[in-house]
Amino acid sequence: MKRLWQFVSPYQRWLWISLGLLVLTSALGLVQPMLIRFAIDDYLMKGEMAGFGWILGGVAIAVLGELAGRALQAYTLDLAGQNALLDLRLEVFSHLQRLSARFYDRNPIGKLIGRVTTDIESLGEMFASGVVTILGDLLNLIAILSILFWLDWQLTLVALCSVPVLLVTTMWTRVRVRRAYEKMISKRSQLNAYLHEQASGMSLVQGFRRERRTKRKFDEINESLCESQLESVNWESILSALTEMLSSVTMALILWYGGGQALEALSLRASGLPSTTGGVAAGMTLGTLVAFLQYMERFFGPLTELSMKYTVMQNAMTASDRVFRLLDNDDKMPESPTPFQGPKTAGHIRFNNVVFGYDEANPVLKGVTFEVRPGEKVAFVGATGAGKTTILKLLTRLYEVSSGSIEIDGINVKDYGLKDLRSRVGIVQQDVFLFAGNIIDNIHLGHPEIDDAAARAAADELHLDVVVSRFPGGYHEPVRERGKGLSSGERQLISFARVLALKPAVLALDEATSSVDSRMEDLLQQAVGRVMKDRTSLIIAHRLSTIRDVDRILVMHKGELVEQGSHSDLLAKKGFYWKLYRLQYSPAN
Amino acid sequence: MRETLRPLLPLLRRYRRAYILGTVCIILSLWLKLQIPRYFWGALNDLRDLELGQSEFALEDAGGLIRTAAFWILASALLSGPIRTASRILVLGNSRKLSRDLLEVIFARLLKLAPSFYERNPTGQLMSRCINDREYVRGLGGAVYMYMAETFLMYALTVPLMFTIDVQLTLIAIAPYPLFLYLARRIALKIQVTAGAAQASLGDISEKVDESLSGQLIIKTLTLEEFDLGRFRERCAEFKRLNLRTTRLRALLIGTMMGLGGLSTILVLGIGGERVATGAMSLGDFGVMLTYLTMLAVPTRTLGFVISSLRRGTAAFERLREIIDSKVSLKQESDSLGDGIGAAALRVSGLTVIYAPLSEQPHLTGSIPLEHIGGDSDVSRTVLDNVNFEVPAGTTLAIVGHTGSGKTTIARVLARMLEVDPGMVFIDGQDITSLPIDELRSATGYVPQDAFLFGETLHDNVALGSPDAGRSDVFEALTGAQLAVDLDQLPSGMDTMIGERGVNLSGGQRQRTALARVLLLSPKLLILDDTLSAVDTHTSDAILEHLRPFAKDRTTILIAHRLSSICHADNIVVLEEGRVLESGTHAELLASQGWYASTWSWQEQSRVESDVAAQLEAELNADFEASQKPKEDM
Ligand SMILES: Nc1ncnc2c1ncn2[C@@H]1O[C@H](COP(=O)(O)OP(=O)(O)OP(=O)(O)O)[C@@H](O)[C@H]1O
Ligand SMILES: Nc1ncnc2c1ncn2[C@@H]1O[C@H](COP(=O)(O)OP(=O)(O)OP(=O)(O)O)[C@@H](O)[C@H]1O
Ligand SMILES: [Mg+2]
Ligand SMILES: [Mg+2]
Repeated sequence: MKRLWQFVSPYQRWLWISLGLLVLTSALGLVQPMLIRFAIDDYLMKGEMAGFGWILGGVAIAVLGELAGRALQAYTLDLAGQNALLDLRLEVFSHLQRLSARFYDRNPIGKLIGRVTTDIESLGEMFASGVVTILGDLLNLIAILSILFWLDWQLTLVALCSVPVLLVTTMWTRVRVRRAYEKMISKRSQLNAYLHEQASGMSLVQGFRRERRTKRKFDEINESLCESQLESVNWESILSALTEMLSSVTMALILWYGGGQALEALSLRASGLPSTTGGVAAGMTLGTLVAFLQYMERFFGPLTELSMKYTVMQNAMTASDRVFRLLDNDDKMPESPTPFQGPKTAGHIRFNNVVFGYDEANPVLKGVTFEVRPGEKVAFVGATGAGKTTILKLLTRLYEVSSGSIEIDGINVKDYGLKDLRSRVGIVQQDVFLFAGNIIDNIHLGHPEIDDAAARAAADELHLDVVVSRFPGGYHEPVRERGKGLSSGERQLISFARVLALKPAVLALDEATSSVDSRMEDLLQQAVGRVMKDRTSLIIAHRLSTIRDVDRILVMHKGELVEQGSHSDLLAKKGFYWKLYRLQYSPAN
Repeated sequence: MRETLRPLLPLLRRYRRAYILGTVCIILSLWLKLQIPRYFWGALNDLRDLELGQSEFALEDAGGLIRTAAFWILASALLSGPIRTASRILVLGNSRKLSRDLLEVIFARLLKLAPSFYERNPTGQLMSRCINDREYVRGLGGAVYMYMAETFLMYALTVPLMFTIDVQLTLIAIAPYPLFLYLARRIALKIQVTAGAAQASLGDISEKVDESLSGQLIIKTLTLEEFDLGRFRERCAEFKRLNLRTTRLRALLIGTMMGLGGLSTILVLGIGGERVATGAMSLGDFGVMLTYLTMLAVPTRTLGFVISSLRRGTAAFERLREIIDSKVSLKQESDSLGDGIGAAALRVSGLTVIYAPLSEQPHLTGSIPLEHIGGDSDVSRTVLDNVNFEVPAGTTLAIVGHTGSGKTTIARVLARMLEVDPGMVFIDGQDITSLPIDELRSATGYVPQDAFLFGETLHDNVALGSPDAGRSDVFEALTGAQLAVDLDQLPSGMDTMIGERGVNLSGGQRQRTALARVLLLSPKLLILDDTLSAVDTHTSDAILEHLRPFAKDRTTILIAHRLSSICHADNIVVLEEGRVLESGTHAELLASQGWYASTWSWQEQSRVESDVAAQLEAELNADFEASQKPKEDM
């Protein structure tokens, strides 16, 4: 609750206006029965009609005022709510962006999508029918109670008999409703995750004829979600029916008691005797009774709604719990409080006995030490799963080393600001990812230093124009989710171009040309040679043809650096590299 | 609106009994509730008569009267409690079930939709529809139905009662309704449009979140956080704008309905009051009238809520119908008379694939139409143009060609991931479009260029198409894909959870997992689309070694960029911009001095780049003869 306030407080102005309007409309609402009481007691009962029109006018004004006030109140409330939700959504989103790569290894995206959309939406409902309205309802209830007491305190006490019953049952169902909602939300997350995954991999589901099994599993999750929802429905229904029932019971009580009083007053008056029970019973008039009745309607109305809102609130609270738990997740890469702020220079890389494992038990890098001098071109080769990509992930601090250290230009990577560090090293990743939009957008990606022209120049440098000219839209050809609708090679070229356009101090290519035809690959290499002249580059490749021009080759084997040297040195050594090389170019037989 | 909601009916009908029962309960409880003012005001009327000395009752009897009234109120209250609970549980419970059934229907449809549908429509959008839009549709079967039933029944029960009291006054009371209902309808239509737009905008948000979270590694390494947040903010701001507009409209609607209630009350108060004063109407009757109106005020206000929710639900259901009504499934002759797939001999004649303009491909409406990004260049695109080849049963065909030449497109056509017109592709002489898809797919093993893995264990991923395979079979397939050697690197071997899309594996490991899947399937037609691109040469050679006997009696399609890995194929097709440039065996193609020959020599030449390598060449050759296989594993 308190944390939510933090998001609402910038917009509290609207909230207060809304509350003010609420008080006003409630007052206008409360005046109406009084006016009617007045009309009945002083005019209708007496048969007097002069001035009756004024009262009618009063009622009309009250009604109109209440109506306008309510509409405005709902709007101002939503203004505060929607603004706060926007901020919350942005906060959750940027928090998600700060969370570490490790977090994403563990959490299915489908679940997280639900956090940012559905869960925050239920929080929105809380605004619409929640906080302020509930506060208003409470104020309203208090006001009604005061009026009732003023009208007839004894009758009020009688009428209130049922309230404790209501309180007790509400308390009692509270725990249960909440538990049901918690279950429901976790089931919904599960459903989201499953749906997301199966929809993403639908061509496989179909290709491998998994439809039936997938459906069965999905229906199972869906069913258990439904069950948890039914549970909450039961509690809700009982609660709201009970409130309504109590309201009727109260009416009976009022009639019983109040009617008796009125009768007594009547008989007293009829017999002309002074009242024995004091002014109370004597003051009991029909008008009062009518007003009383109308107030009771207004009393139980919000109370019934309160019980309904209460479940909405429960839902929202559970959802907000989830959202805030996500915000509390501190799985971030720690950043140095006083980051190094030197200029972007040479790109001198040093790994000192780096040990790392994605989980503690399984080291992936087992003490890797090497140095890449500024301007040097170094290649990493080795069997798949040897840990090449991992080296690049550590270099940009997507993960933290377990022991040892990594330095760029003599500064430990931990001492750089994360963004600064990452902008020094441009990685063309093995897994290609494109954003929905168009091709040119995907190359400049909102980097202020790259405009359309620069992006196009970078792309042309890579001979992307040859490929792009085949598209009807050229560089403005739409790109769909993840680059669907482009061939793998085309996607790889685009993701290559966008890194090259940045002209980073250190360029790292992780299998950046694996899906590209060999002529294109040759052109790319020449382009890289031109652009990265005098800059440091790290190249990971399986095709040895890709790494012909490098200065030095580092051979990785099962998380260790087993050999390094130039192409000819390594061949002469007749070690791991020699074997790789020989296999690749063994005469075709 | 009625037309839009029609498909919901069969789902609703399932719970007909519960709905009827629920409605009966609502009627009962309303009827009980309506008795209360009768008794109450009856008693009050008697009181007034007493006071005015117009009653024939004695004062003592009046007490009894009141008590009787109170008793009836109490009785009906106690009775209506359980009835109301039942009605709520029935109706609201139904809505949950309805929503469950709806999702089942949608998901069943999703499973049938062709891959091209998924290529065109972002997953995030689909999810938002399934989750968020469905919520509003659920409201239709639950809260909206209940309130609607209550409101209408309330009117249906109250208005006749009012008529029995005073026809004229009742007519006056309901006189403002037509005008206000007309106004409400106007606003409601606007709500439907705006709410639909807001829902679409929520879908965009969900799409964006999906994209951003899936692309986290790229976003982090390229420091795109700000840029990405900016894009996200845009969509959220749009959503906020639309939501506020909806709220404004809703407030207007509810205000209108409240005004209606107020107007009726004032009319009755004024005109009825005058009558009471002139004695033309009893106070009791007047009071009952007034109470009925008060009782109607709440449902009238609810009517505003009901109408707007109804519209919002309709807008949401429209969006769901886009999925339910999607007909993007592959053509399938249900009662194929073919002889099934035998040895899987392939013939492709005149294969042409033309992608329709984006705007013409079936797609879900979002608020940011993709085709606009392309501007007026949104035209159809021919990616395969009259491709012909033949693959006799049990032989291997290799497809090569430059990036974007259409290799994958051919593979997708053969695996029936892409619809083609009849008369282009034949398996064992039967048109591919006439074969039952299920049969075709069970005979085909297709390893797509991008390996997609599920967030399950490695074992389950490999056994994807063969649920009955034993662990040893799976292990054998892993061995064939050269993944068995990596098992000791994985925390729990075959039972390692490999993370969403296989994030916990290296690029090469993912690719080999996808390969192992198909090896386990042991299909008649094997299609490998650049399956060894992320695998080192040592491993790739070992895999090819294993594949050779495996592919022996299978029809195999190999796609690759490295010519050395496909040069053994029985036939090689070279594609260029969707056309067959040349074809033949390795030797034939080398002899014809075309694209293949020059690419081959370019690839070969790179090995004699350096002098040292040239020196070693002879040595290597000699060595190779000596040690056929490296003993050490790498
Ligand atoms: N996110 C992760 N969580 C857990 N384990 C991982 C993760 N990423 C990689 N691994 C494991 O770490 C090892 C090294 O992976 P890495 O991606 O560095 O290999 P690689 O040398 O790049 O291989 P390839 O050539 O196949 O791309 C592999 O055994 C892999 O299973
Ligand atoms: N759904 C689609 N809509 C429109 N165009 C498409 C679609 N899918 C592919 N294309 C286009 O068709 C052409 C052929 O694509 P395909 O994937 O078959 O190429 P490829 O030969 O496999 O290339 P690569 O070697 O890069 O894998 C490409 O230019 C691609 O952009
Ligand atoms: Mg890798
Ligand atoms: Mg391809």
